Amino acid sequence: MFDTRENIWAAFWMIGAAILIFALIPLLQTLPPRGRYLLIAFVTFIAGLFFAAEFFLPVDEKTGKNFLTDPFQRLQGSLQVITALSLGLGTYGLIRLHLRNAVQRRAQWGYSIVLLVSFVTMAFFSVWNTLAEKGLLGVQRTPLLERAFTLLFDYTLVQLDATMFSLIAFYIFSAAYRAFRIRSVEASILMFTAMIVMIGIVPLGKFISDSIGLPIMMTDEMRTNPFALETILYSLRLPEVANWILNVLNAPVQRAIEFGVGIGALAMAIRLWLSLERGIT
Amino acid sequence: MGSYQHAQDNWFAAFIIVFIAAAVLINIWRARAGKQLYIRRIPGLDAIDEAIGRSTELGRPVTMIPGLTAFGVEAVQALTIFKYITKQIARFATPMRLLTANPTVYAVAQEAISDAYNEAGRPDLYDPDSIRFLSSEQFAFASGVAGLLQRERVAANFMFGIFFAESLIFAETGNIVGAVQIAGTVSFTQVPFFVAACDYTIIGDEFYATSAYISREPVLLGSMVGQDLAKLAFGSLVVGGAVLSTILGPNHPVIQLLGKPGGWEPFMQWLSQVLGRG
Repeated sequence: MFDTRENIWAAFWMIGAAILIFALIPLLQTLPPRGRYLLIAFVTFIAGLFFAAEFFLPVDEKTGKNFLTDPFQRLQGSLQVITALSLGLGTYGLIRLHLRNAVQRRAQWGYSIVLLVSFVTMAFFSVWNTLAEKGLLGVQRTPLLERAFTLLFDYTLVQLDATMFSLIAFYIFSAAYRAFRIRSVEASILMFTAMIVMIGIVPLGKFISDSIGLPIMMTDEMRTNPFALETILYSLRLPEVANWILNVLNAPVQRAIEFGVGIGALAMAIRLWLSLERGIT
Repeated sequence: MGSYQHAQDNWFAAFIIVFIAAAVLINIWRARAGKQLYIRRIPGLDAIDEAIGRSTELGRPVTMIPGLTAFGVEAVQALTIFKYITKQIARFATPMRLLTANPTVYAVAQEAISDAYNEAGRPDLYDPDSIRFLSSEQFAFASGVAGLLQRERVAANFMFGIFFAESLIFAETGNIVGAVQIAGTVSFTQVPFFVAACDYTIIGDEFYATSAYISREPVLLGSMVGQDLAKLAFGSLVVGGAVLSTILGPNHPVIQLLGKPGGWEPFMQWLSQVLGRG
């Protein structure tokens, strides 16, 4: 599997890290709660410090890297390994639940049978396809594999995905109906603004603006004279008003929310790094 | 591997990060020292207990959905909120389901929910099957959640985390089954959908204020005050930057420092020229 020296070293590093983690588990269990907390806080701090140092230390102008950048990249790769391992855990939990449902004939156990059969079938053909694609274990493509893979993935999974996505269109109708019911001043403003934006960004907005005789194009003369009647009339075209609402009213609010979210995330990250966040830790 | 951002790319941005960190840590220290801090009322969070009470009365489950959140700060925040909700649920033995699309979140959620039942003094009520990893595929997860909401006729639905196009499927399905719905997200593109379909929506940085609001822990309250100071500084920078940009023009070194990556060097050159002249 590993054909280069670097990959072999990476494998050694990962095995070493796994051994270290498994050695830490009994150590953690023998420690008193206070000692356990301090050990976890120390490891968390060192790990966080590594990422912070990689960001703040000066980098080489040519390579754009400092001495921590390469280990940082490797560490990011190892995070994918952890995710892959936890995917196995998640799948195990799912199969266990539905096997129990089926064996104990719990309510609606028929759905569990459908899930288990679908899971095994999809997994079987997916693994077979991957082995054939990569030419591993001497597995070859066969007409059965071609047909089954196309049927299951292209004609079933992709179509089911598209179906779920399409459902959103219908849900938008019912959600919009509730949102736009005029019950208060705020709801009326929302309804009015939304109507302008919706009409303005589709060809109907252009058609209405053209029909009532508003200027069709912004000329150089209009650009130099923003207070001329022609310029004011042009800016009242529905597509222009819709764009103004989106870019001048909406965009700053979104940016303000993003500022708040960014600051909140940074504060949370600092609390986690310094083990000050005690919610689930 | 792509290139990564470093402080050297924009020292001003790095300075801002250090400023925010300092504001947060100083206020945490003040809060720990006993300073009384105020946090404004967030109606959506006050409604959590009300929603749980309704579920208990109806004898129908409560669902908690951290969306497609990968394991990170949002997931930790979502699980902190879900842990609080679970503690409340445990008092009344109300059934719950936590549905996730991320296997790492699933593993951590199992521990967090188990801890919540232990801390509430009802470890017997913890059912590992109530925390479910449905699928890591977006719409497979969406259909799984929608199906569960319909089949189990949930009475309260809590959605906290990062959501994408599936948000409306969850919120509308919950609405159809008549569940009290409280959503909190940092994905601002999904906020309109939640506002339209949920009873309460927690938006933007309110999401990060949730744990402080629920627990009233000094550390978290101090952190909130630090965040607010940072926001005030950002607001001042935006207003100051707009005024200066209007007066000095967009290519002035001060404006480049405030608004452009790599603006540090022209600013330092300009500063040394100004100081040299002085």
